Amino acid sequence: MDFFIQQFVNGITLGGVYALVALGYTMVYGIIQLINFAHGEFFAAGGYVGVILLSFLAAHGIMDTHPWLGLGIALLLTMGYCAMLAMAVEKIAYKPLRQSSRLAVLLSALGMSIFLQNGLMLTQGVYDKAYPIGFTAGGWDFGNVRISLMQVLILGLTAILLVALNALVFRTNIGKAMRATAQDKVMSALVGIDSNRIIALTFAIGAALAAAAGILVGLYYGSVRYDMGFVPGIKAFAAAVLGGVGNITGAMLGGFIIGMVEIMAAAYIPHGGEYKDVFAFIILIAVLYFMPTGIMGENVDDTRV
Amino acid sequence: MRRILATITTVALLLCAGTATAKTLKIGSLSPLTGPYAADGNDIANGTRAAIAVMQAEGGIPGYDKIELFAEDTACDPRQAVAAANKLINEGVVGAVGAYCSSATIPASEALAEEDIIMITPASTSPKVTERGLPYMFRICGRDDDQGPAGVKFMKEFLKAKTVFIVDDKTTYSQGLATEVANNADKNGIKVVAHDHVNQGDKDFSAVLTKVKQANPDAFYISLQNSSSGALMMIQAKRMGIKAAFIGQDAVYHPQLMEIAKDAAEGAYLTFGYTDKATPEYKKFYNAYKKISGEPGAYSAYSYDSAYVLLTAIKQAGSTDAEKVKAEIMKLNLKGASKQLKFKENGDSGSDYVIFKVQGGKFVPFWNPSTGKTM
Repeated sequence: MDFFIQQFVNGITLGGVYALVALGYTMVYGIIQLINFAHGEFFAAGGYVGVILLSFLAAHGIMDTHPWLGLGIALLLTMGYCAMLAMAVEKIAYKPLRQSSRLAVLLSALGMSIFLQNGLMLTQGVYDKAYPIGFTAGGWDFGNVRISLMQVLILGLTAILLVALNALVFRTNIGKAMRATAQDKVMSALVGIDSNRIIALTFAIGAALAAAAGILVGLYYGSVRYDMGFVPGIKAFAAAVLGGVGNITGAMLGGFIIGMVEIMAAAYIPHGGEYKDVFAFIILIAVLYFMPTGIMGENVDDTRV
Repeated sequence: MRRILATITTVALLLCAGTATAKTLKIGSLSPLTGPYAADGNDIANGTRAAIAVMQAEGGIPGYDKIELFAEDTACDPRQAVAAANKLINEGVVGAVGAYCSSATIPASEALAEEDIIMITPASTSPKVTERGLPYMFRICGRDDDQGPAGVKFMKEFLKAKTVFIVDDKTTYSQGLATEVANNADKNGIKVVAHDHVNQGDKDFSAVLTKVKQANPDAFYISLQNSSSGALMMIQAKRMGIKAAFIGQDAVYHPQLMEIAKDAAEGAYLTFGYTDKATPEYKKFYNAYKKISGEPGAYSAYSYDSAYVLLTAIKQAGSTDAEKVKAEIMKLNLKGASKQLKFKENGDSGSDYVIFKVQGGKFVPFWNPSTGKTM
């Protein structure tokens, strides 16, 4: 039983990370029907900006005296930076192609992903960059189950960000404008919504969430590398599809399911550790076979963001 | 008109004569310069550079004005390794240092062997590297069947371990070594509670580490082909509260391990070839290396020795003919930067694995399997 609970905690932590990254995919898809393949790179960029900021703060002793304040500052700045990066990417690579075929935008997204990844490699080097992780070493033991401070932090922060995102989309005027734009760009423009601004904002929010995931993963695992965005990007994409692309709750759920399947496969299936990625995608294929629009997807594409 | 032609011909002849005397000795290096193993791969290329610099400072090789290195990237990929080897063949190299992953070294060495080009590996530990009977294949580092038993001996005699949990990442190298450890543990009365696998490039090891925690073994053998994967595993294992003694191997042995894992690496044991850093040979290597790339990495001294052996043999043979150079290599018995360099009939140079312990952020020589004593 302890074994199962421990694996459950592991799964939900990994799932939280996937969920945060998946939200950006789903929001962008919801609003302009684009699978933004460069999204994983915002996650990686977040990890890197995070390590640079935290190392700077650590060098000035702030991580020793006020670790949580330091982490908060780094988190906000990282999210802000990646939000701006995403708006720039949108302006350069996607906006000029808004009237073009979907394939053109998709290729542009793939190109952007390669460009950003190589940019990271050339500016930051091919080696791992280490996070200052001393202050995150704590944890609690419940019998044989150990829950580390980082696991609590990842889940707590994921929960806060998810609640905040939901409030933004369903309780504010900006959220209303986003939903309206997703439903019908032309009509919402006619009633005075600046759809270009709303689209840019959607990119910014999605990237900020991915950036938060990047910095959390950096702290959790202790280091980041330039190509760290690729695999979580693919997993989060799968999570978004699993949940029903365009659906926020679905993306969260999809993220947690993919994370959980991965961990449980590694834990209980013989040689599962080698094939855990396969199991995650088997689940994806099975769900899509029986529910082509994903778990939470609607048949008609209206209530999206 | 005739005069102009004559002048041009004369100048052209002079130029040809000029290039004919400026002879360049071309040697190659094969290692992963990009991708997850780039850290070790660049150390190998730089170690070779250091050997060339030292050889040139010592007067170079008679008949050659210059020694040039062609450093090719294998990316630890069999196909790319063969492509890189073919590139070296086209460049006309007389010998190559490399590669890094056994899975890349083996196919690359087949390509080089067809052209009778000498290959000396500083880092590939699979027994298959030298056991295929290729005439021009040599190895500076030890072998899996030396390293595995060294680790097992340490677990049995020093740690008095009764149980061991083994994890590898399914590469030719890591799996070969892990299997070697598993077989030896069995023979020595240490129970292998599990031999699990992860994927290369995995970052989340929580599932397998939970299994380790549940099994509660005396020793936890980490066979991963990457120091950063090793660091990630140590961080997560410490956080999870795993109390088993960590034992890793040469691919995890890299200064980057401590940089990333920090406190989590403290107390971990690693098997690696012993190098006496107080010898003048090591200092000569260290000073040359420092000028090129800062602090040496795990395989820097091995790759330096590989290139130094190759160049010394060419110098002594007075020829680049593979058979003559090989004869000189077999005659060598010289003090290298990493160890005494003397080759056996099959191309191996023997093992000198000892157990290192991470203490205060440093790899400290700790236990010698041949004497069974702490160092």
